[in-house]
Amino acid sequence: MSSHREAPEIAKDPVADGTDTYAFVSPENPDSVVLIANFIPLQKPDAGPNFHEFGDDVLYEIHVSNRGTSEADITYQFRFTTEIRNPNTFLYNVGPISSLGDTNWNRPQFYSVTRVQNGRSRILAEKVPCPPVNVGVRSTPDYPALANAAIRDLPRGGRVFAGQRADAFHVDLGSIFDLGALRPFNEAHLISMPAMDGRNAVQGYNVHSIALEVPIDQLTADGSKPTDVLDPASTVGVWATASRQKSRIFDRKTGTFQGMGPWKQVSRLGNPLFNEVIVPMARKDKWNSRKPEGDKAFQKLVYRPELAGLLPVLYPGVFPNLAAYDKDRADLHAILLTGIPEGVVPGFANFTGPVPADMLRLNVAIPPSAEENSLGLVAGDAAGFPNGRRISDDVVTIELRAVAGLTLPLVDPEFTPDGAAAAIEDGTTNTNAPLLDGFPFLGHPGGGYQFQPGTYDAS
Amino acid sequence: MSETTRRNVIIAGATGAAAVVGVAGSATVAQAATRKRGARSAQEPVVAHVEDHTSDTVTLMVGEREVVVHDRDLVVRLLDAVGGN
Repeated sequence: MSSHREAPEIAKDPVADGTDTYAFVSPENPDSVVLIANFIPLQKPDAGPNFHEFGDDVLYEIHVSNRGTSEADITYQFRFTTEIRNPNTFLYNVGPISSLGDTNWNRPQFYSVTRVQNGRSRILAEKVPCPPVNVGVRSTPDYPALANAAIRDLPRGGRVFAGQRADAFHVDLGSIFDLGALRPFNEAHLISMPAMDGRNAVQGYNVHSIALEVPIDQLTADGSKPTDVLDPASTVGVWATASRQKSRIFDRKTGTFQGMGPWKQVSRLGNPLFNEVIVPMARKDKWNSRKPEGDKAFQKLVYRPELAGLLPVLYPGVFPNLAAYDKDRADLHAILLTGIPEGVVPGFANFTGPVPADMLRLNVAIPPSAEENSLGLVAGDAAGFPNGRRISDDVVTIELRAVAGLTLPLVDPEFTPDGAAAAIEDGTTNTNAPLLDGFPFLGHPGGGYQFQPGTYDAS
Repeated sequence: MSETTRRNVIIAGATGAAAVVGVAGSATVAQAATRKRGARSAQEPVVAHVEDHTSDTVTLMVGEREVVVHDRDLVVRLLDAVGGN
């Protein structure tokens, strides 16, 4: 998946598990950028009575690098506090929740937003309410109204939202992790089967999202709103992290854990699928704890990705040109670790300097597309991945095709991609909840009462 | 006496080469209980971590920060306490 349960250690800690990061110029307000960090993967909407929520003991952060060093120049921090209004009930709510202040809601959650820049912290907002989770038609009968009430303005412009959302990612997990199978190409697989449509494994599941709308001039190094696409100052790097305190002691008096010590990063996410399919299992936990500026230690994995070697093995005879390629994958290194320099794609660049770092790289001088192409830059839509990442970008297909060699001619014109490189996909489409036209853009979460459990077939 | 050795310490547990020590308000180490606390003494729970039993380093975690103390005598006393001495 993009980064749902992508490493052994964080898979045991879903509250801190970052699943997707998005960064795009707002189609609703092109003077602003939208930054979204999703956490807590694969939430069944009917997960009561203790529904999913942000961790009061987790520090959530969205980082922006704007000086070409791959270091965090601006960080937005989010800290959550949960209250229990009625300690004498086991219920999440004791009646319909009609507003964020409704006393029927027994477990409200609040958060603060802090902006850190040049070593100085400034609290932008405190005690901002999250909406409740979508319990069901009786408990949260007008969920959109609750969610909309949780969108708050920030000082000096911009908005913030934090709460449950429908996951917008789509991927066929059941197939991909069954020996790299892609159902539409089943017949060509080493263990051949009849071809079939892909299945969106994320469909119907929720996540918890932190969404920020920030005026562009608050993210650039010189405080400008760039207009020159080829100006290096027009591109910012973005990634999200979650951190826990260094030690944790069980408090027998309360039956809860208490964190002590400095915050230590346990999850990070820039480009989708980086830790998932680039980093080997034995190094995934370490990668999650490191800063992007140290990713030189992982760049060999990008130059020689394991998946590029697996494709010709799993699909015999389908990728002969890819199998014969024995040079470093400079295309993937540019896409994932440095950004694409000027001169590779006509009229486009999102290079952030030579320091290899896994970040989304968003060129803020490129306006939103009037008509989005979910295949992004490789399909001629420069406002999409890997120029930042929009919610509707089909990053699984884009990255599969890139790894299969489709983007290699950009840096090595002598290479001819195999025919399958332009066709490879997992066969899923965006069958998740409809996206919203405006901030926070991610769709409303599925409700617990409305949720229909899926089927099960063991053989 | 270092800043660290003025703290009240209770042994909470240890595994392998690393000792993890919890600190609470009521001391059970007799030696520590008799010491007078300084004006800047911590007023909240503290965790002490000895990562390398051969070193002189104790990491003290309190609130959202940590204090690294180099005091071989303190390390030895913590290790001895873990060992039941």
